[in-house]
Amino acid sequence: MDFALDEVSPELKPFQHEMRAWVKDAMRGSEHLRWSANWSTRENDEEYTFRRGLAEKLGAKGWLFPTLLPEYGGAGLTAEYQAVIDAELSEYGLALDHIFYTLARIVVPCILYHGTEDQKREFLPPMTRGLISVWQVLTEPQSGSDVANVKTTAIRQGDEYVVNGQKIMVGHKLPPDWIWLLVCTDPGRPRHENLGWLYMPANLPGITIQHLPMLMGIKNAVFFDDVRVPAKYLVGGENNGWEVSHTHMELEHGGGGSVTGDPAVERLFEYCQQTKRAGKPPIADPHVRDILAEALIESHAVRLMNQRNYWHRLNRDPHPYGGAQLRYYQRTVRLRNAQRVQQILGYDALVPNYDVHEFADFEYLLRAGPGQLHGGGTLDTDRLIVARRMGLGRATKEKAAVTI
Amino acid sequence: MDFNLTDEQQMLKESIADFMEREVKPDRVARCYQREDGYDRGLFRTAAQSGWLGMPVPEELGGAGGSVMDCAVAFEGFGSGPLPAPVFSAGVLSPLLILHGGSNDQKRQLLPAMCKGEVIATLAVSDSGMGWGPEMVEMELADSGDGFVLSGVKQFVQDGHPANMYIVGARSREGVSLVLVERDRPGVSVRQRGELLATVAEVRFENVRMPRAALLGSPGSGWDTIESALDQALPILCASKVGACQQIFDTTVEYTRERIAFGQPIGRFQRVQDHMVELADHMDAARWITYETIWKLESGLPAKGFIHEAKAVASEGYYQVVDYAHKVWAGPGTALDHPLMAHHIASRVLYQYLGDPAYHKRRMMDALYPVEA
Repeated sequence: MDFALDEVSPELKPFQHEMRAWVKDAMRGSEHLRWSANWSTRENDEEYTFRRGLAEKLGAKGWLFPTLLPEYGGAGLTAEYQAVIDAELSEYGLALDHIFYTLARIVVPCILYHGTEDQKREFLPPMTRGLISVWQVLTEPQSGSDVANVKTTAIRQGDEYVVNGQKIMVGHKLPPDWIWLLVCTDPGRPRHENLGWLYMPANLPGITIQHLPMLMGIKNAVFFDDVRVPAKYLVGGENNGWEVSHTHMELEHGGGGSVTGDPAVERLFEYCQQTKRAGKPPIADPHVRDILAEALIESHAVRLMNQRNYWHRLNRDPHPYGGAQLRYYQRTVRLRNAQRVQQILGYDALVPNYDVHEFADFEYLLRAGPGQLHGGGTLDTDRLIVARRMGLGRATKEKAAVTI
Repeated sequence: MDFNLTDEQQMLKESIADFMEREVKPDRVARCYQREDGYDRGLFRTAAQSGWLGMPVPEELGGAGGSVMDCAVAFEGFGSGPLPAPVFSAGVLSPLLILHGGSNDQKRQLLPAMCKGEVIATLAVSDSGMGWGPEMVEMELADSGDGFVLSGVKQFVQDGHPANMYIVGARSREGVSLVLVERDRPGVSVRQRGELLATVAEVRFENVRMPRAALLGSPGSGWDTIESALDQALPILCASKVGACQQIFDTTVEYTRERIAFGQPIGRFQRVQDHMVELADHMDAARWITYETIWKLESGLPAKGFIHEAKAVASEGYYQVVDYAHKVWAGPGTALDHPLMAHHIASRVLYQYLGDPAYHKRRMMDALYPVEA
């Protein structure tokens, strides 16, 4: 077994050197934005501009989605190359998964597996080259975890779908360029056989986006009033949306994995080493050390489950239950870590610090612990998926979808 | 990055899995644990004949010259039973103690015999039940002019009953020393403890006279020897716990499919599913932290803190996995002849063996984040 991220085979060495120099160059002058090209709901202009710029630079090389064919905006490289890119980016706390402000990481594989050739050639390059921001728009007031219970309708009229309905708790502070939308294409058909996915411009007439202030930042309600969407934007076929969802959900539910560490725990250790309390750093306090030990161990376990899933994905051999397991475990760990931060910092944990990226801001951790327990389905849906994949009480085990 | 085993390791894994399935039937394991000595002589002989004792010992000294990863692959298999024989204490830890602390004569004399299963040695360090560390060694190493005299009681000696040699920790003004004491020395007596301590014995030393040559290494070097040996031995022990967790997981998943209650398989109940989710989290945390630690160790990366981490996580994981399995198996899982019972006993005993999770977490922190004096 080999866990090394930076040890590569001799034929990959030149690429590793190229990539290392490239990332260093791309980060020059922006080193203080370490972590900031990660997912964010509290972005500032500097971060946002940097993040989009980095995505464009990576995209121009085909490195945002390196295993895709060049005609789809990729570089036609093997999975080993993607591992090198991710490993080099992780040195700066970055990951291809969230490198820029979009959910293209989930949408691209869905279109790749379920789109027509024309759709792939038209829709993929703007995403894979990092030129646009995409929101995934699934949740409705009556359908959170029960994601198939879609009431937003897209009814075919001639060459268009007419979309009506409301989505909620989606996106972030800045508006999207495109929308990846789960709709009901036939209200008369049975559950799971009545769904469709639209990949559509966000500026079509009839779309209204309204900010929702929430514990962990800005989310949005999106209203669709007689929005006329050209039929070519339907991906995966009418009433076949549940099939497409398998690819989507596997990625949203942790199946993608990652090789980037957890900046929060890293920074918690820095804080405990660098600050003084009654003349001593907190890390010298046995009680604090016990709390830190738990945080460290659990963050290691999360990192390794992430790495395991990443390796399985790149080998096109998805871990049977690893995706939802990681998501469940990671979110329960974040919840515990939120409390651990307060146990160590006291009142200071409740003071926001906008100078650091939210991923490393302690106050944000306190918000994100409970605030991010539900995104993409609750802990309970995670456990349900794990149980199906393990085959508990079932003759057969549900299979994880291939996502690369 | 590659999470596959090598071809040789895969073959080793399969051959041990075959052996475990063929020879180490759950009822045979359970009977061993009920017989109070937790020990199956036939299986131990087979392990010796198969070359599974002294796997980390160099080939010229009778071993297999295996890497820690090779040993871990084997012990993941042994842990699945668990194999009711002192394959770890006598086959890994004791040989490593000799390798790290012994003179050339001691190595030549003892290691080939340990690899053949003729010398069955086990470490006897802590005098009392609580705590682990050099300060827990209270037995005095009294100078008798031409040698030493040992008097005292080692209350909890893992595999103390099958052993025919004890590597005894005793204290002199130089610190903790290790002494090789044959079981048949006058003054040595062994009491089986039974029940949850089926694999643990109390070993009593009454005016046991030992020659100077019985010392392993120099006086006061004992704890350093233990620490060096544990760097390799602990990850292997962790792997056996991972194998145990995997076996419990596999059999418990099957049980959720077969056991019908309220007209359906119990695995359909979400509360039962919750137990399995938590069980798997503990199992996988133990698995990956153990194997990453072994990779670090063998890649020459700083590993000390992670070895302690692995021991803490694997011990806690095994304990918790058994507890979650109990929640699923309910009544039948507590019958003394149920396969889960051997794991129950092993998980409780191995929680303490060579330091409990609280100890190893503190050592992990001290290794990774030392406190400035």
